[in-house]
Amino acid sequence: MRDFLSSVRLTILLLIVLAVVSIFGTLIPQNATPEEYLRIYKVSTYKILRILGFLDMYHAGWFVFLLALLSLNLMVCSLRRWPSIRKFFSLPEIKLGEGQWKGIAPARRFSLSLSARDALAEIQSILSRTFAKPRVLQEEGLGYLFAEKGKLSRLGFYCIHLSILVILLGAMIGSFYGFRGYVNITEGESADRVFLRSGQQVEPLGFKVRLDQFSVSFYPTGAPREFKSTVTILEGSQKVLTEPIRVNEPLTYKGISLYQSSYGVASVEKAVLDVMERSSRRGFALSLQPGARTEIPGTPHSLVLDRFIPDLQGMGPAFQGRLLEGERPVEDLVILQNHPEFISKMPGRYEFRVREIQPRYYSGLQVNKDPGVWVVWAGCLLMMAGFYMTFFMSHRRIWIRMMEKKEETQVEIAGSSHRNRSEFEKEMDRIGQAVKEAVSSAKKKSSAGGPS
Amino acid sequence: MISPKLVSAVTFLYLFCTVVYFTYLAFRAERLGRLATGVAWITLGIQTAAILLRWVESYQMGFGHAPLSNMYESLVFFSWCIALLYLLWERKLKSRVIGAFALPFAFAFNAYASLAPGVSARIDPLIPALQSNWLHAHVITCFLAYASFAISCAVSIVYLVKLKKKGKMEKEGGMAGLFPDLDSLDDLIYRTIVVGFPLLTIGIVTGAAWANYAWGAYWSWDPKETWSLITWFVYAVFLHARITRDWRGKRTAILSLIGFVSVIFTYFGVNYLLSGLHSYAS
Repeated sequence: MRDFLSSVRLTILLLIVLAVVSIFGTLIPQNATPEEYLRIYKVSTYKILRILGFLDMYHAGWFVFLLALLSLNLMVCSLRRWPSIRKFFSLPEIKLGEGQWKGIAPARRFSLSLSARDALAEIQSILSRTFAKPRVLQEEGLGYLFAEKGKLSRLGFYCIHLSILVILLGAMIGSFYGFRGYVNITEGESADRVFLRSGQQVEPLGFKVRLDQFSVSFYPTGAPREFKSTVTILEGSQKVLTEPIRVNEPLTYKGISLYQSSYGVASVEKAVLDVMERSSRRGFALSLQPGARTEIPGTPHSLVLDRFIPDLQGMGPAFQGRLLEGERPVEDLVILQNHPEFISKMPGRYEFRVREIQPRYYSGLQVNKDPGVWVVWAGCLLMMAGFYMTFFMSHRRIWIRMMEKKEETQVEIAGSSHRNRSEFEKEMDRIGQAVKEAVSSAKKKSSAGGPS
Repeated sequence: MISPKLVSAVTFLYLFCTVVYFTYLAFRAERLGRLATGVAWITLGIQTAAILLRWVESYQMGFGHAPLSNMYESLVFFSWCIALLYLLWERKLKSRVIGAFALPFAFAFNAYASLAPGVSARIDPLIPALQSNWLHAHVITCFLAYASFAISCAVSIVYLVKLKKKGKMEKEGGMAGLFPDLDSLDDLIYRTIVVGFPLLTIGIVTGAAWANYAWGAYWSWDPKETWSLITWFVYAVFLHARITRDWRGKRTAILSLIGFVSVIFTYFGVNYLLSGLHSYAS
């Protein structure tokens, strides 16, 4: 069991299972209403999908179980591999046994016309300059060096695996100690609680948010350019700050973030209508307050706008109203802002066109608290560091041994790299070359400067 | 607007490049190879100019933004990334044989941008959700990752072709004789994925960071997000299978193909077949 839990085979299996079930989650609409599901599926299919948790799949028990199993697998796997990784972090022998020496890569051999002592000093300085500071061991007529680089890359996969656990931890903190809610606030009004997305609960904020103003602007093409809510945060009756919230520019106060999410017209303050009497073809501009009776000058009639409908059956904003003669209603009216032709085709005493509406907007704010989000970002950074260590660094180790024979010293360079072997071979060639050149140029200098 | 015309020209140039790379494979003439490389760099240059010009044109229209915001722009940028990454690998490896298989991808995506009736070349102003600096980081890293996977897919195709014809080729010495040996192809499949995987991860993370600013949730299991994660899982399987279970050759080449199918679905399938937060990108 422990072997299975710690196996990469299980990791691969879990990744494949997660990938496949996630596909189902993108094909089956998630968290839709029963009506929407019944439009797509038969009742029996709907019931089965609901029981199996496929309708809120990513939060279903079995999906969370799969993620938990993956985390457990990562942990057990990492712990089991530690002993084999740890050996790279204890200092290796400078002087390798003959068997070990044969175990690492074919060695480069050359001889230098120096004593072992001088050769060691020379190579030591070259290695420090071009590779890494070596550790040295000297014996009579013999010399040993060891140098290594990029040891950290052995820990790269730990960073990546740990980072996944950190990200999942951050997500858990968010789901236990945070909330996701929303609130609609009408201009001039304030809210001190929000409705949670999950369930029907209400979450108190601990402060008040007042919507001072909402504005929307458009490009000449008609596409929206900006949605902006200017809000004031209040503690009791004390104003704390006033700031705009735009899409992509949330406002965060006391760990709670407010996001611009939607908007609409809550009510109409004032409307200006062009009114034309059909019999006389006379026109008036009327300024009306919804609900109040306004007389049409020079006629026995007056107009009342009873109700504003933000969107009447997809045809845009509309007013419902009445035409009165004295106290007696004589006509029921529907006036569409974007479709004035609608009323001009109807019989009636007057034609109406909406010239201007002064709306009172409401702004829909997404209100979230997620104390885990910084843990998630830390996990992401750790993952990046892990990738760099794993894929773009390699642990390279070089052993050099030398033996003095007569006037010369025989040098052997060997090494190991746990990735990009061919690049490392070239690096070892360069080091060998540098040593030979340094020695021969030193020879030339000494022979040129000598009293020959 | 001149830039869409340039993009159309680039389509034909990439087609020409592909033909030259294939001719190079067939005749093994060094001169043809140099011609192929030269034309490919020039085409990449023209494509770069087209992208920059579109950027300038958007400013002239009064709502300037980097050309990374809709299907058309992303297709051209995807094609550009593939050509650029391919040419950099060609320089590094000093071998041109992958070109005949990698450049068709650059050609196809650019052609789709300029020819498909559903893809509009119009420059639109940015809607509020897209007005963010995360847009650049997110789109650039995602498409560099996708391009890297496209090249990995191209190499996998070469690998599988060579594997299939292995016996025959050695005798006849046909065009596949020019292909590098199977081991270096296998290595290249791995190395391109090693470049793509961290880039995809950065792409997902920058997308999450952006979503957190725009919608207040770094992860909402939106179909696009989920498919990018599925793609991530596939390549994670590839890396684990290769590094720790020592999978090589045919099996990893096929995994790389599956990975790229997943990339394509993440890119097109989600936009066209599923609905979600990225619907404005179609």
